[in-house]
Amino acid sequence: MRLFSLPIPALRMVAAGLALAFMASCGGGKKETTDVAETLDSNKANIVAVGDKLFSIPSPIQTALLLKKCGAAYNKSMLNIPANITHYSTTVKKALNLGVYGADLGYVILYQQSQDAMGYLSIIKKLSDDVGISGAFNEQLLKRFQSNLGNRDSLLAMSSEAYRSSDAFLKENDRTDASALILAGGWIEGLYFTTQMVSGKVTDKSALIQRIGEQKTTLENLIALLTKYYQQEGYTEFIDALIDLASEFDKVEMTYTYQKPTTDEANKLTTINCTTTVKLSDELLKTITEKAAALRNSVIQ
Amino acid sequence: MKAIFFSFLLTLALLVPSLAQAQCDTIANVCYKHMTQQYLSDGQQYRALLLNSEVAEFNSTFFGNTTYRIAACSGLKDGQLVIRIFDKQRNLLFTNIEHKNAPYWDFKFLSSMDCIIEAQLLDPKAKSGCAVLLISFKQ
Repeated sequence: MRLFSLPIPALRMVAAGLALAFMASCGGGKKETTDVAETLDSNKANIVAVGDKLFSIPSPIQTALLLKKCGAAYNKSMLNIPANITHYSTTVKKALNLGVYGADLGYVILYQQSQDAMGYLSIIKKLSDDVGISGAFNEQLLKRFQSNLGNRDSLLAMSSEAYRSSDAFLKENDRTDASALILAGGWIEGLYFTTQMVSGKVTDKSALIQRIGEQKTTLENLIALLTKYYQQEGYTEFIDALIDLASEFDKVEMTYTYQKPTTDEANKLTTINCTTTVKLSDELLKTITEKAAALRNSVIQ
Repeated sequence: MKAIFFSFLLTLALLVPSLAQAQCDTIANVCYKHMTQQYLSDGQQYRALLLNSEVAEFNSTFFGNTTYRIAACSGLKDGQLVIRIFDKQRNLLFTNIEHKNAPYWDFKFLSSMDCIIEAQLLDPKAKSGCAVLLISFKQ
C-alpha cells in the first residue's frame, strides 16, 4: 500500500540517481553510464509509450458472433487444425497461432461444439506454455472449462478473460511484440472466417461485406502496432504481407457522418448515432478474400 | 560492506519499474469489477502511466449494432480518471466529467466507427498515476 503513496517520478529519479552513482563508484566509464540511463528510460517508455501506439484490435469473438447472427452454419473445415501445432517452432509463429487458435476457440464455443472447444483449449495451453504465458491458461482454467462445457456464456467469458490476462502479463513484462502478434493472429483468423463465409449460405450477406470493409482501419492499427518490430527476425515478411493487404483495403470507400449522441443518464448509456457507410466492389472483395486466405495460410503453415 | 550497499542500491533501482507496473496491475484488477457477466472482454488491457496533467490517447474501433462498456480507472477509488471520447474529426461524443466522473459507461454504436479516447488524471496536482482502460462488449 505504501507504493501508492510514493510518487512514481520521484521513485524513478531516485532509482536513476542510485544506478548512476553505482556505476560511477564501480569505475564504470561514460559508455556504461549511458547504457544504464537508456535502460531506465526504456523502462519508463514501456509504461508511458502505450499512449503513443495504443490501438485496440476488436475481438475475433465479435466476428464469430456476427457470422452466427447472419445465419452461417458451423464449418469445422475452416478452422486451423490442432495438429498444425507441430509446425510452429519460432516464437513469432507460436504467438501468431496463439491468436489464430483463440479465434477458433471463440468460434467453436459460440457454435456450442464442446469437444472441439476442449481440443482447442488444450492446444492453446501448450502454445501459451511455449510463449511463456502459462499463468493465464493453467490447469485450473482447463478444469473450470471442462466443468462448464454446456454453458456457452461461461466458456466465452473464461476464454476472453484468459486472453486479457495474457495481454496484461505480456505488457507488464515488456513483451508487447508477442501481445501484438497474438492480436494479429486473432484478427487474421477473424477476417479469414468472414471472407470465406461471405460467399456461402448466409441470411445477411451485406452485413458481412460491411464488416469486411470496416477492417480497413483495424488493419492500419495492426500495422502501426507491429511496425516497430519490422527489422526483427520473422516479422519483415509478415508485416510486408499485411501492408500488401492494406493496399487493397485502401480502395474501400468509407463515408462517415457525424450525428449528435443521445444519453440515457439513468441507465448510464450513450447511443452513438454517427454513421459509416462502406463501399466495397465485388472485384475488390474477391481480391481481399484471396489475399486474406494466402496470408492466413502462410501463418498457419 | 560497500559491495552490499551498492547491491542494495542496484536492486532498488531495478525494482522501481516493477513497482510502477504492479501499481497498474492492482488498478486493473480493481477496474475489472465494473465488467459484469453480460459483457465480454475484448481480450486486451490498456494502460498508461500519466504524470501531472498528461493525457493518454487510446485509439479504438467500435463495431455497429454493438453495445460496449468502457471502464476507466486510476487509483483504488472510483472517479479518479477523466475520459473524453472523440470521433476521428475530433467531435466530442462523451466525457464522464458531465456524469460525476463515472468509472464506467455503456455505449451503443449504431454504426461502426473509429474513436479516440483521452484519459487524464482527475487531480492535476497528482504527481503521477496509472490510467487503466478496459473495453468489453455485450453478447
